[in-house]
Amino acid sequence: MNLKNASAAFALLGASALVLSGCAAAPEAEPTASSTATATESEAPAETVDFLACAVSDEGSWNDKSFNESVMDGLMLAESQLGVQIGDAESNSSEDFEPNLQAMVDANCDITFAVGFNLVDSVNAAAEANPDVHFVTIDGWSNGATNLKPVGYNMAESSFLAGYVSAAHSASKVVGTYGGIQIPAVTDFMDGFYYGAMSWGEENGVAVTVVGWDPVAMTGDFMGDFTPNSGVSKSIAAAQIEAGADVIFPVAGFQFGAVSEAIKEAGIDGAMVGVDKDIALTSPEYADIVLTSAEKRMTAAVYDIIADLVAGAEFTGDYYIGTLANGGTGLSPFYGFDAAIDDATKARLAELENGIIAGEIDPKAVNY
Amino acid sequence: MSNNEDRFSQALKEILAGGFTRTIISVILGFLVGALFMIGSNPEFIESLGYFFSRPADALGAAWSVVNEGYGALFKGAIYNGDADTFVKAIKPMTETLRLGAPLILAGLGLGLTFRVGLFNIGGTGQLITGLIFAVFVATRMELPFFLHLPLAIIAAVVGATLLGALVGFLKARTGAHEVILTIMFNYIMLYFFTFLMRDPALLQEQAATGNPKADPAAETALLPLLLGDEFKLHWGIILAIVAVFVFWWLMERSTIGFRLRMVGYNPDAARAAGINVERTYVLAMGLSAAFVGLAAANQALGTQFGLTPSAHANIGFDAITVALLGGSNAPGILLAGLLFGAFKAGSPSMQVLGVSPEVLGIVQGAIVLFIAAPPLIRAMFRLPKPQTTNVLGEIRDRIFRKGGAK
Repeated sequence: MNLKNASAAFALLGASALVLSGCAAAPEAEPTASSTATATESEAPAETVDFLACAVSDEGSWNDKSFNESVMDGLMLAESQLGVQIGDAESNSSEDFEPNLQAMVDANCDITFAVGFNLVDSVNAAAEANPDVHFVTIDGWSNGATNLKPVGYNMAESSFLAGYVSAAHSASKVVGTYGGIQIPAVTDFMDGFYYGAMSWGEENGVAVTVVGWDPVAMTGDFMGDFTPNSGVSKSIAAAQIEAGADVIFPVAGFQFGAVSEAIKEAGIDGAMVGVDKDIALTSPEYADIVLTSAEKRMTAAVYDIIADLVAGAEFTGDYYIGTLANGGTGLSPFYGFDAAIDDATKARLAELENGIIAGEIDPKAVNY
Repeated sequence: MSNNEDRFSQALKEILAGGFTRTIISVILGFLVGALFMIGSNPEFIESLGYFFSRPADALGAAWSVVNEGYGALFKGAIYNGDADTFVKAIKPMTETLRLGAPLILAGLGLGLTFRVGLFNIGGTGQLITGLIFAVFVATRMELPFFLHLPLAIIAAVVGATLLGALVGFLKARTGAHEVILTIMFNYIMLYFFTFLMRDPALLQEQAATGNPKADPAAETALLPLLLGDEFKLHWGIILAIVAVFVFWWLMERSTIGFRLRMVGYNPDAARAAGINVERTYVLAMGLSAAFVGLAAANQALGTQFGLTPSAHANIGFDAITVALLGGSNAPGILLAGLLFGAFKAGSPSMQVLGVSPEVLGIVQGAIVLFIAAPPLIRAMFRLPKPQTTNVLGEIRDRIFRKGGAK
């Protein structure tokens, strides 16, 4: 009796195993050409283009409300606007980089974006091994492969402006900044912020203090990782508020929940400066304390690169550097804080911006 | 005649009640759970559910195609790519499965060893990182000829990991601190210590000093050589893993050390009464366990020509827990379990390109171990017989393998 039941169970299992193994003779059993066309699943726009844009994430998921997400937004924008197909793979650790990039090569991607400096070795190797496949490395560099286009940002430029306006807005004349990990891609923001704030102080003859980063000694406050809204993040923000800071610039992905909690718990009339995206727009729940944001407009860069290629332009391995001049980076509007910032400061900001664009002002030095 | 029939049904019962049957069922159930998740997260399926009763074929078709494409991609990414234009490309996925499975097997052996002794080593990550630190130091800061450099780097990885493992065993034996707490805390300590070392060019940071926390690539003389030529990334790590499987089997099933370890695992009090020094056995078990994990560290540090970053441990220390549990903490089981999870890692990118979320495989992995950990659940679901106390199978096996039996 028992045995009969058991064999029945096995028959069932056998059947389900057959269904699962995918070797049954269904028409879709071999997704040959369709493996290159992910977007065919969703209702693709009427005029789809035969172009597959792919991306491999840095450690972390696409919806990190920061770095990775900006790139994915660019891909999705290209999907809806240009009708291209997209493919993607998330990396959980450095071990995933190579297999993920290889999967993109195997899927015959027309272009593959490798997000983050962590992938720089893997993407250079992939580019050298596949000379006729086009790659883009964001925040990385090319070791010589011409089929690899580096995309970088001079984030110090917009962060300089952010530091300037933060110092102007601060009541205590103490502003704070902290980072995720002490790497150039992070400290670039913090350098600009520091010198921007100091420049305002020199200009106005007021002593301004920046807590959390000293660009000369290269020491400051860092979380040790990029975990969104972590407890560490909140305690750093709280410590900086304790030290008198009332404007905080967290350069560590999405820390705006943590900073906003720290500000509210301290009961001060504080503000924070967003990074990467226009935080007042993307996270309206914090808009009332977002002074402005130093945007790293990767979405636009990704979209533009795809759009150029779809339009028939030749792929080049030339550097793309996002600057104030080409709009790759910039300050977000002040929204609710617009009235709180006087016209003289705004005029001076415009002047500084033009100075940086013209190359007369170095955002990594005190200017006045 | 009837006696024979009885024996046959008894043997079948033993097979059905045994761990192997349960393992196979658990794996299949795990895939079913993953399939349900894929179906449930598929927008087309959800859309067609809206008109399920007017046209059920749409929903069923969508469900079928998403599962079929998803697991089809897993097969293509991990075993054999039938669409590839060359033979090399077609079998490359299989070599990737071996490459990614090797560290899981090695670390799985390590953790399985402690499970057999009744210890729960959660410190795979910490021990692996200690091994990485030692191996990276030897591989990037020393210049030696190949025949010395590679063995020395491997030994360094093993020694580094063993030291940390033995320290945990020592603290447990001496102070009574629980090994779970100790190993978890050491995971954090070693992870941040590793990152710290990579921040200073005087320590392990790359000489190019880009400011990023990253080590130099291993010297070519310290790299594990490629196994199948330049076309494949598969290196000698898999050979290391297979040798380790044999060593583990011999150690646990045949040696006196293994006998002592198992005895402590069955019943520490009885072992103590029998004259075994249980505390020393704990230190020995943690050290040996970490030694296997150290081999996984050697595989990670010496198996890539890129410099390591703080995430080079790739969560292998935790994945290895599931490998050891799925493999029943025995050598052949861990080998197969490691290869299965290696296949998941190799196939995951191909699934993601199709738009299947990478979490699916994590869910499959977790579900499998969940089912493994609950034998009564599986027995109830499939009406399997209770564990048998008879040993008909053993007798049959004995008769077949008995030495000189034919005489």
